[in-house]
Formats: sequence, structure tokens, C-alpha cells
Amino acid sequence: MTSTPIRYRLAVASRAVAAIAGGYAVAALSAAALALALPAWTGMARSEAVLTGTLASFAVFAGAVMWVFAARTALRAWAGLALSAAVLALPVLLLGGGGA
Amino acid sequence: MNTPTFFTLAFTASLSGFCALGLAMDRHFEDVFGRGREPGRWRRWLQLAGTVLLCVSLAASLRAAGSSIGWVLWFGVLTAAALIVVAFLSYAPRRTPWLGLVSALAALGGLPFTFVS
Amino acid sequence: MKEGFRQSMAWLHTWSGLLVGWVLFLVFAAGTAAYFRDEITLWMKPELHALPHAPVAQAQAAERAVQFLQQRGADSPRWFISMPTGREPLVGVLWTKPAPPAGAAPAGERPRRARFENASLDPATGDTAHAPRATRGGDFFYRLHFDLHYMPAIWARWIVGFSAMFMLVAIVSGIVTHKRIFKDFFTFRGKKGQRSWLDAHNVTAVLALPYHLMITYTGLITLMFLYMPWGPQAAYKDRGGEQAFFAEVFPGGGRDRFQAAGEKAPLAPIAPMLAQASAHWGGAAAGRITVHHPNDANAVVAITRAEGPRLSYDQPSMQFNGATGALIATYGDVPQAAAETRGVLYGLHVGRFANPLLRALFFLSGLAGCVMVATGLLLWAVKERQKYAKVLRKGGRIGFGLRLVDGLNLGAVAGLPAAMAAFFWANRLLPVGLAERAAAEIRWFFIVWGALAVLALLRPTLRMWQAQLGLGALLFMLLPVLNAFTTTHSHLGATLRHGPGAVAGLDLVAIALGLGLASAVWFVERKRRKTLALKHAAKAPAPRTPGEPEALSQGLATSGHQP
Repeated sequence: MTSTPIRYRLAVASRAVAAIAGGYAVAALSAAALALALPAWTGMARSEAVLTGTLASFAVFAGAVMWVFAARTALRAWAGLALSAAVLALPVLLLGGGGA
Repeated sequence: MNTPTFFTLAFTASLSGFCALGLAMDRHFEDVFGRGREPGRWRRWLQLAGTVLLCVSLAASLRAAGSSIGWVLWFGVLTAAALIVVAFLSYAPRRTPWLGLVSALAALGGLPFTFVS
Repeated sequence: MKEGFRQSMAWLHTWSGLLVGWVLFLVFAAGTAAYFRDEITLWMKPELHALPHAPVAQAQAAERAVQFLQQRGADSPRWFISMPTGREPLVGVLWTKPAPPAGAAPAGERPRRARFENASLDPATGDTAHAPRATRGGDFFYRLHFDLHYMPAIWARWIVGFSAMFMLVAIVSGIVTHKRIFKDFFTFRGKKGQRSWLDAHNVTAVLALPYHLMITYTGLITLMFLYMPWGPQAAYKDRGGEQAFFAEVFPGGGRDRFQAAGEKAPLAPIAPMLAQASAHWGGAAAGRITVHHPNDANAVVAITRAEGPRLSYDQPSMQFNGATGALIATYGDVPQAAAETRGVLYGLHVGRFANPLLRALFFLSGLAGCVMVATGLLLWAVKERQKYAKVLRKGGRIGFGLRLVDGLNLGAVAGLPAAMAAFFWANRLLPVGLAERAAAEIRWFFIVWGALAVLALLRPTLRMWQAQLGLGALLFMLLPVLNAFTTTHSHLGATLRHGPGAVAGLDLVAIALGLGLASAVWFVERKRRKTLALKHAAKAPAPRTPGEPEALSQGLATSGHQP
């Protein structure tokens, strides 16, 4: 097989890490965010919100993975993940840790 | 009308429905009726009949197994019926219209009972 | 990845599928077999085939079980009783051994966890039913598909969960990338090499697509608290942690809630409790009875409703005071929306609500899933081989990656079915009194699979495909014959007439699987002859027209494997 350029391999590796680790992080954050935000914003029972967030998190994971490989550059892939993570982290930081 | 009969209806309806939908496609119409033949004005009727038959299959599945498990049953029946139609279209294309007709007759025979009793 | 969306999804689909394809094939194969786990277990216990199966009243079966447990497990902290069902005619009892008092273990040795013992009882008499041979039965396949084997369960569940997530990505990216999903809905063009593999992959994927999406997603859901504990952790951080969450969602559970009082009190009769529970549930039967701290003043009897024609896996339960028989609480009568959703998703995966017909349809869809994974793996190898067409024509060899994939494909797709058949052969051939018999049967499964996998990696040729597929075909087709010779009255002739239906069914499915594998052997034979014919033509004196070598190499390339 012809050797593929090292840049391509690095880009693929970068996306793979982004997809697996970054995607998981975004999914985990979405589970936590929904679990905390839904009771605060809609009055849903806490256990219900946790279930909803966790059930949905796998779809979020799949979506994040697809985003990573659809983005035009590896950098954009990471940026998209970072942005989503930041947005999802807000409810976790504000509402988490006892309090509301 | 009891559950096994409803199940048979669900199956025959989806079998004939998929036959109709398959024959409505150029590629498969050609396989069955010869090169260059097109469904032409039959296409719309075949598509309509196919869709209606699939809906009948859904109604029968819901009657057979209830309002939630009936959906699960329907998807399972659709898979089985579609696989059979693919097998016919690949290995015995010219018998596909017969399959469609026979199962459609069987389905129509049981149809009134789906909505009565 | 600078190509369009569809192309990048195609790339993603290929790699997410390939990297975990062999694990997924195992998961699909074992999981599909697990739909008939009770039936497989019955087939593997011929001693139970002749039992009369007149239905026994629940109260009587439960009382027999309690009598048994009072004799064998009177000082056990917990009893579990499974009521007989249509698919499992015996009463299952399990009792835990009390943990040794602290300090009883010699210094330096970790205290052993409480062990347990179990038995199967005839519901009418309460005897341990005819001592069937020790075997894991269908439960082996059930556990195999998420706990794998020979490794800690946690590792296996992470491996399987990782693969399932890859599978989910593969499905969704596959849908996105399949441009002509409606046009090609019924399309299967046989005998066209790579095109045929693609069509087979598409047909088995698309025609059972709702099933594949459902089974993959719900599979992740069944272990979702392992894979995604962040919701409970975040929301219950200062409210009692994950334990508090589980107590809310699964009320009435939790071993630690039940503390022994220390003073003895005879266990109240169980029949009235069963009657009350059944009346509360509109006449529905009980499925499971758990007795916490029997013969103690604080004993609690928890009765859970039987699985019935309801999608949700969660069943309501009721708890009674074990000494007085008074009702303590009812749980789960009106589940909340998200909890019910989870219950339904769990129930869809496990499929225990399915009647025999629906179960057969699930089995068919599961088989379609196995074919989908297998054709995907083989398709990749066929496509990759095309890149070596020139090299091969000059007498060169394929690269290491492709050869590895060839070997893994062979070992998985051809080797695994043969190993599954070998498991059934081991069940009939191993001596009944063998020590650790259940583990021995399982060991044979892995010995056969291991040997076939090694052979596959050493010589991934068409002949090896034929050998392994042929072995599987033979073992499956002859299984009913083996059954007839090794059991007295469970051969197909008898079971077709008076049952058990499960045993007849398994014999028949074995024949069908054997025929399927045999037709695969024939299919490989055709391919092998075609490849040989082309090779001889290529070695023939100089071709007449300059275009011929190209056509020949195209033929070689699409043949899939070297002989």
C-alpha cells in the first residue's frame, strides 16, 4: 500500500480522540446538564430529569461523533466540541453542587 | 376473528404491499416484465395500493397484539415480508406479481374483520 | 475528510464498523441465540424432557418452595424464588449463605463474600427435579453477549458498550451515506462479486433497520448507569449520592434497607400474600418472590409481578411483613414518564414480552443483524483486495492488514457457528457426573473456537472457509441425530408428537442453520472454481486482445479470496 502522508494520519488520530474522548465528555456533560436544568427550569422531578438526561446522552454522543467527522477540519471539530462543552457546563456549574 | 388470523392478515397485507411498492419501481418492473417496460400510469396505483396495504398490516398488527406491542409486531412482520419480496425479485422475478396477487386476495379477504368486532 | 458530508460519513461508517466488527458479530450471534435461552436450557437438560407440564397453582408452587428453603436455607439471610412460566416450568430457588462473622477469616485473608446455592424444583412436589445435568444452558449465550467470558464482567461490559457505541455511529452514518436507500430497498444482484456483497449488506441492514437501531440503542440503555453515571452523580451530589437516586427510581429495592431484628419469628404463610398481590394487580400472576431475613421478626416478603404482555421490563411489586403477613407497601403501580420510558426501552431489548411468533421475528431480525455485520466485514476485505489486483497478478502478496482481516473474518464468521454447535455436542457427550461440568461445556466452546481462529489466521484461504463452514454445517445438521442417540425419548420423532416443543424447535432450527451453512460451503465452492478457471486462463498463452488481462484481473479482484 502507498504510504499515507503523516499529516493525514495525525488528522485522523486527532479526530478519533476528539470523537471518542471529546464526544464522551460532551455526552456526559449533557446528561449532567439536563439532570440539573430540567428540575430547575421545568419543575420536573429530579429522578425523572436524571433518567431523561441519561437516556438522551447516547444520542448526543452519536451526534458529537458525526460532527467530528463531518467538520471540515480537525480544528473545527475540536472547536465545535469545546463550544458545546462550554455551553453544557454552564448549568452544571451554576446549578450543581448542592444548592437549587 | 382471533389473534392468529390478525397476524396472518398483517403478514399477507405487508407481503402484497411490498410486492406492489417493488413493482412500482422501474428497475423491478423491468426485472419482471422485460427490459424497456415501465410502470407508466400503473406506478401511482401500485404505490397507493402498496401504502394502503402496509397500513392495513399495521392495523392488523395492532389488533393482534395491542397498541404498543402491536407496533413491535408490525416492524417484525415488515422485515420478514420485505426479505421474502427481495428473494422473489432476485431469484424468481416473474413470480412476484403472483405472490402479490395471492397475498393481496388473502389480505382483502380478512380485511373487513379488522375493523369489525 | 475534506470531502462532502456523505463521503465523510462513508469513511466513518467503514471504520466504526470494521474496528469492532468481530466483537459485534459475537454479540449479535450470542444475543440472537439468547432469545431462546430458556428453550436452549431445556434442550440441554434431557432429564427434564419427560416431565409432565400440567400447570400448578402458584400458591402451591410457592409453598413447596418455602418448605424446601426452610429445610435447606433456614439461616439464610435472603431467599429468591422464581415462579414457573410457560417457558420455564420449574420453580427456581436461590438462597444466600450467611457471611461468616468478622474475624472468622484467618489473619491476612480477605473475608469471603456470602456465597449462594440454588436448585430447581418440581412445582407440584417441591423435589429437586430429577437432578438434571449441570449446565449453563442458554444462559451461557445470554451472558456471553455482554459479559463475554474469562474476564471480569466490568471489563467485558465496557468492551461491549464501546463496541455498541461504535455500532450506533455505524448505523447512523450508514443511513446518512446510503444515497439510494429507497431506490435500492429491494435490490439484490447476485453473482456480481463486490456488488453482491454490498447488496447483501444493504438489504440485511435496511430491511431490519428499525430493529438494528432499537437493539443497539436499547443495549446501551440496559447498562446506562455504568456508562453514564454523571446524571445521578451531578444531581444527587449532596442528596445522598447515587444510592439515593436508585432508591427513588427503584423503590422497594436495596438490600441494606432490610435489617434483621435478631429475634426469631416463624414466617407467615405465603399463599394469602400471593392472593392479595394478585388481586391488587387485577388477577396477574407473581413472577418473583424475595424473602429478606426469613424466620426473623423483621422479615420482609417482596412479591414482584410476572412478566406479561407489557413492553416495560419494570414490574410493580408489593412488600409484606414476613412475620405477620400484613402489607407494608406497593411499588411501581403508576410509573413516571421517564422511568416508564427506560423500562420500555429495557424491555424492548430483552424481549421477554414476546410470544413465540414475535420471538421468532426477533430471532429473524437478529440473524439479519449477524449477516449485516458479516457481509460488512467481508465487503471491506473484498474492496481492499482490489487495491492489490496488480500486485497479485505479478505474483505478489497482500499486505499484513488485509491478511489479518481475512483471518479474523474467517475465524469469526465461520468459526463461531461451529463453536456454538460444538457447545451443544459437548452437552450431550460429556459425562453427566463430570465435576465442574457446566464450565467444561463452556471450555469446549472456546477450545473449538480458539483452534478454528488460529487455523483461520494461519491460512485464511477459500478452502479454510469451506472447512470451517462445513464443520459448522455438519455439527448442526447432525445435532438431532446426536440427540436421538444420546437421549432415550427426546428424539425429533417423539418431540414433534408430544413435545417438549422447545426441544423439537431447537432440533429443527439446528437443521435449518446447518443447511444455511452448507449452502455457504457450496457458494464458496463456486467462487473457488471460478477463481481457479480465471487463474488458468491468465496463465494461458498470450491473450488475443490487449483488453483481456484487465478483464481477468477484474474477475480475480471480485472473487473475494485466494484459493
